[in-house]
Amino acid sequence: MQAEAKALDSGSVSQSLSTRSAAGGRSGGWIGWLFALPHLILFFVFLLGPTVYGFFISLREWHVLAKQHPFVGLANYQAALSDDIFWIALRNTAYFVFLVVPLGNLVSLLLALGLGQVRRLQTFYKVAFYMPVVISIAVVAVLWQWLYNTQVGLLNLYLGTMVNGLRQLGLPLSAFQPIPWLSDPHWTMPSIALMSIWWGAGGNMILYLAGINNIPPDYYEAARIDGANAWQVFKSITWPLLRPTTLFCLVFSVLGAFQIFGQSYVLYGGGAGPGRAGLTLVLYMYQQGFSQYEIGYGAAIAYLLFAIVLAFTAVQFRLLSNREESRS
Amino acid sequence: MPHSRWQRCCTLIVIAFLLTLCGGCNLARHNASSTSSKLEIKFWNGFTGPDGQTMAKMVRQFQVENPDVQVNMQIIPWGTYYDKLTLSLAYGGAPDVFILQAARFSEFASFHTIRPLADLYASAQPPLTAKQFAPVPWHESFYQGVQYALPLDTHPIGLYYNTKLFREAGIVDQNGKAKPPTNLTEFLDAAKKLTKDTNGDGQPDQWGFVITNQHSNWLTIAHQFGGDILTPDGKHGAMASAPCLQATQLMVDMIYKYKIAPKPEGVDAWLALRQGKAAMAMEGIYMLASLQEQPGLQFAGAPAPQFGPKQGVWGGSHLLCQPVGISPEHSRAGWRLMRFLSDHSLTWAEGGQVPARLEVKRSPQFTALPVQAQFARQIGYVVYDPQVPRANSLNQFVDPAIEAALLQLQTPEASMTDADRRINQLLARP
Repeated sequence: MQAEAKALDSGSVSQSLSTRSAAGGRSGGWIGWLFALPHLILFFVFLLGPTVYGFFISLREWHVLAKQHPFVGLANYQAALSDDIFWIALRNTAYFVFLVVPLGNLVSLLLALGLGQVRRLQTFYKVAFYMPVVISIAVVAVLWQWLYNTQVGLLNLYLGTMVNGLRQLGLPLSAFQPIPWLSDPHWTMPSIALMSIWWGAGGNMILYLAGINNIPPDYYEAARIDGANAWQVFKSITWPLLRPTTLFCLVFSVLGAFQIFGQSYVLYGGGAGPGRAGLTLVLYMYQQGFSQYEIGYGAAIAYLLFAIVLAFTAVQFRLLSNREESRS
Repeated sequence: MPHSRWQRCCTLIVIAFLLTLCGGCNLARHNASSTSSKLEIKFWNGFTGPDGQTMAKMVRQFQVENPDVQVNMQIIPWGTYYDKLTLSLAYGGAPDVFILQAARFSEFASFHTIRPLADLYASAQPPLTAKQFAPVPWHESFYQGVQYALPLDTHPIGLYYNTKLFREAGIVDQNGKAKPPTNLTEFLDAAKKLTKDTNGDGQPDQWGFVITNQHSNWLTIAHQFGGDILTPDGKHGAMASAPCLQATQLMVDMIYKYKIAPKPEGVDAWLALRQGKAAMAMEGIYMLASLQEQPGLQFAGAPAPQFGPKQGVWGGSHLLCQPVGISPEHSRAGWRLMRFLSDHSLTWAEGGQVPARLEVKRSPQFTALPVQAQFARQIGYVVYDPQVPRANSLNQFVDPAIEAALLQLQTPEASMTDADRRINQLLARP
């Protein structure tokens, strides 16, 4: 209703604009374009233009310093697909997506559900959980680098204290060995994923919370009268009615997770981590394009990533919206 | 009526925005074209450490002696230096004089982005010839027979050792002075004596040796066994060759068999040396200032021990270059600056470098510099990274392979074979 009113209102504005600018021509549309111009210029110059140009570059042997950039067709794509490091990067990225998307959304949903129950200080908690989202990833990574430090990190300190405490209580545990969070290839991706969940969970939490608040309270009241318990309420009311929100959050989490870059870049100083365990696709693209200056090759990797993400998104939309339709 | 005012107001804002954009362009153009009466020379380098202060001092001195030239020196951290330099050489705005490190030189030369200097050398007064330079850095200033640079210095790695720990462990000469190892046997013997568990927790907390830079340490040892990253023709990877595998195995053994060096993960190896928790490291001469800053640290420098049958030590070089397409006027003024820096490289040496000019290297002032003079003894057998156009790109395979072997993620054979395969793939690209 509100949106409609807004639309009507803006309609009348444009109408009045057009009548007033009769000297400008038939509809006076030029003035609308004038307003859109600053954004359009920036959009074409910094987004659409480079994106299209990037495809053009990906079809060429293009070193930044070279004077000529010969056309090579799909050779860069072929080279990427036969480059085993590209596949290592893809595998690492997929592993990260697999860790972060389900777990991250679960954490966000749980936080939102919990916050829904909180009556006092709700805003305080909202802000507190949301806070990490507004911090730049560079700051987050530097912060967590300290938390993850094998020798002096807080995480190992707490774990060590906990294990030792349990041992003193007589539990048959072996002495705590500090976990090499960032320097052992097996721990690398889980560590990066944990940090990323902490960083991003607040964003989806707000969306889930909005979704929950949009569910009409009548349903809950009816359920209560019928004597449903908390789990039944969640399973039969909250979860199904949250489906559009879940779809949105999942799609955007997958999009975001595939583009992971800053985490590895900052934690490993532009490198790839131990045994390349921290190498992600965007990082590999960056290294090829901006460290090796092979921007043709880098652009090809970028377009391969684009294709993968596009395919994933299409599948997700199809799957989840089909279910949505079959329900209604 | 309110609509009309609102509309006018917004239109004004939009127009103001667009005008600012255009105005900004004009202003920028105007600034670029305004020149003073002096000839301006832009000089770029990456000397962010104490060496930058030394360089600034030399540039100031140059300006006093050359009042007609205004040098604008820009120090850019090495981490972003080559990005900026590459873009400026590709798309305009390049400096008139800039530093290239030996490891990156052939890449820039191969794309014909730097100016051949034969005419400037030919017209130099007093003449500047090969006889005045140490052969290795002089040779380094050529690419495929054309001279593109004026070599300023060489900076080989060398052995830094903690003299106090050496004396405590009884590794001394007949005068009671700490005695640095010169070969593998002496090195292992000393390192074993210097590796100690001082707090009795079963884990060593003082190490005989630390690997602070895997790349330079590996290349040094590999060359000593007769190996290199590439085959001599520069066309194939050679990291899985027998000499390279021997070198890699030796480094792995230092960690896991002889247990004289810590596993290079989660430890700040250089800090360990500074804090006296490690007795030896092979590092660049440019790290000297960092040790001198450490209060109470007693250390000395020596040539790197000879682990294999041959002499060899990894080194780098700072080369002074000019961009292709520079105006003759700027080129001549730039050459005066380059020449001045070369002639005054003793000042530069005090900042921690071995000068490329022989008369400076042989001067009593230089031989009096304790660590520099020791490291300079190696200058006849310094080896660089391979001189091929894609040298910089090789490192994306070389360094991870060394690391994988040292962390025992892969056997030396497997990691080096992987590296060779990837190097061959890269070199086969058009």
